[in-house]
Amino acid sequence: MRLKSCRLTAGFWAITLAMFMAGVVMVFAYTPVEKTMGPVQKVFYLHLPVAINTFLACVVVFVASVGYLWKRTQAWDDLALAACKTAVLLCSVVLLTGMIWGRSAWGAWWTWSPRLTFSLLLWLLYVVYLVIRPAIESPQRRALVSAVYGLVAFLDVPLVYLSVKLMPQDIHPASIALEPQMKTTLLFWFLPVTLLNIGLIALGYAVQRKRTLIEQSRGKRSVHDTSTPLAGDAA
Amino acid sequence: MTPAIKQFVTLVGKDLRIEARSRQTLGLVCVLGVLILVVLGLGLGRETVRSGAASTAALWVAYLFGGVLTFEKTMAVERQDSALAGLLMAPVDRGVLYLAKLTSNLLLMAVLAVVVTLVGVLLLSFDLGAAPLGFIVIITLGMVGFASVGTLFAAAVSSTRLQGGLLALVIFPICLPLVIASTRMMVNLFETRVGEPASSLGGSGLAILIAFDAIYLVTSWLVFELLLEP
Repeated sequence: MRLKSCRLTAGFWAITLAMFMAGVVMVFAYTPVEKTMGPVQKVFYLHLPVAINTFLACVVVFVASVGYLWKRTQAWDDLALAACKTAVLLCSVVLLTGMIWGRSAWGAWWTWSPRLTFSLLLWLLYVVYLVIRPAIESPQRRALVSAVYGLVAFLDVPLVYLSVKLMPQDIHPASIALEPQMKTTLLFWFLPVTLLNIGLIALGYAVQRKRTLIEQSRGKRSVHDTSTPLAGDAA
Repeated sequence: MTPAIKQFVTLVGKDLRIEARSRQTLGLVCVLGVLILVVLGLGLGRETVRSGAASTAALWVAYLFGGVLTFEKTMAVERQDSALAGLLMAPVDRGVLYLAKLTSNLLLMAVLAVVVTLVGVLLLSFDLGAAPLGFIVIITLGMVGFASVGTLFAAAVSSTRLQGGLLALVIFPICLPLVIASTRMMVNLFETRVGEPASSLGGSGLAILIAFDAIYLVTSWLVFELLLEP
């Protein structure tokens, strides 16, 4: 059973890696170079799928947080944490690729354009989820506060999106006219990025689950260790 | 008067009586608010701070930091001598507890807003007379949303190691839509443009503030009970 699971995992990562390599080949060999921006435009094939997958990871955080508040089982908290780590990682990639694009298109690493600002605020929202956890000692309380924060943070996402639209100077393109080859490449890139997103969440969940089980067994052992001498004393 | 309203009035009265006797929170937050205005006034310089955008931003910074301190202090009072445990043993609905704590925080923040705004009018030449009604609407909606999130997470954070910094860390990212919408609307109202009349309240900004208040009032009221668990 364990061997089968290992083979499945290895197969999954092999497929993801192969798809990434195929995507890179498509970007450089199949897709034409954009006239105005040149080769830098190619970050777009990574930027958009990663941005969509960031949002999907945030949805997983929300679902897992609601799951914890409903069922109160530690597994939901582990899933929320794994998804949050993935969301922050993917959002960092969105910010980096957005900055590379901005430097090339507008001559500045950072412009307070509403969409870039939205990515930054989303990143901040979920980084805080990771930062507050170590400050709470009790595992149950940590999971509870994190679940409430995960729920509240997700409800904030549409409000952040709408509020940044009030900001002036939107120089971010609303849509980009793409050649048919460019569209095919962009659509193809959704596959490896989505597989990576799923793989990272699953891997993070498996690691966190093991950590939680070790912590729980340690907790039980320490309770057992302290209770034995007391029982002896009483005797 | 229904039992829930009677309980609500009793709880708000209790918080206000504690504040009137100890005078711990209001003095502290008002002085902090004034200090923030002075520091920003000195840092930005005489000319910059007199623009509508800079003075409204400075006022919001003072309201936000004063607000965080208010939430911390009002919840810290409940943790002293296990007062919260006693409160939880009373036959009072947890939703009423939340609404009472929210109202106490809002009343204290209203006093903070009055003091800080008056100081802003004096020190930063903030032209409140340009749109007083719009100012009151934005501040009221902004503070209701801010206090609804702040009251919820003050209950969550008050029992952790990093009480002070942690609450600001948790509240500020969530309240960013509120801050963006409020400051944009206030800048539209108060920024002085030569030859142009003052703008009206932006409809989309107002809609965001109302949506924020509605979403977080309901969500916080529903989940506050969970965070009060020991």
